Amino acid sequence: MGGDPMPPKPHRVLLDRVSGYADEAAAYMRRRRVARQPFARLYYADGRASDQAADSVLGGELFVAAGRLIEVAGKRPKQ
Amino acid sequence: MRLGPGSRAGILAEMSDGETSAAISGEAAEGALAYLTEMSPDLRGGAILGSDGVVLAASDRPERWGEDAAALFAIADRAGPDPVEQVHIATEQGEVFALRHAGLVAIVVTERFALASLLFFDMRSVLRDLAAGGDGRGSDAA
Repeated sequence: MGGDPMPPKPHRVLLDRVSGYADEAAAYMRRRRVARQPFARLYYADGRASDQAADSVLGGELFVAAGRLIEVAGKRPKQ
Repeated sequence: MRLGPGSRAGILAEMSDGETSAAISGEAAEGALAYLTEMSPDLRGGAILGSDGVVLAASDRPERWGEDAAALFAIADRAGPDPVEQVHIATEQGEVFALRHAGLVAIVVTERFALASLLFFDMRSVLRDLAAGGDGRGSDAA
């Protein structure tokens, strides 16, 4: 006997494809959510770096100071 | 009198990488800022400050850039005993990059998701060249 294995049922193919797309979309959204997290990072001359949490006092002040600079810079000029 | 990092004039008081030997002209700084803007398409605006905290060049409203840059470094320096060399803050509205190098300060605001390492590299090379008496363009000027 042997021969080719039975091909998967068509609805299985469709389900696999749909769940594949859903997984991709979920992973994309997860990456996007992480990438969009605001952060404040300080770097030192000796190569150290430190993250300041947005809910800490210093982190909050850094975000306020950054907000003022962003306001001064304004929008990007149209190309 | 020793200037503290928290004071405006002392924005660079704790520099560890050597001070610039020559006085930087406003024209050279303007050229350097223009070059930085040209190299970084995501850049919205920025400023270059001298060793005394004076704004040498700014895309707009130099007094505000001077005040806000000094305030940013004053806050950042409170995070630890050592002076901060680079600051990178990302918010929903944009990103702020600030760098102290060779006795100068460069501070820019960009769109979200700008390439941080490239931008810091460009800022550093512009400041290094300015401090050496160039126009910030390095070898590109030739």
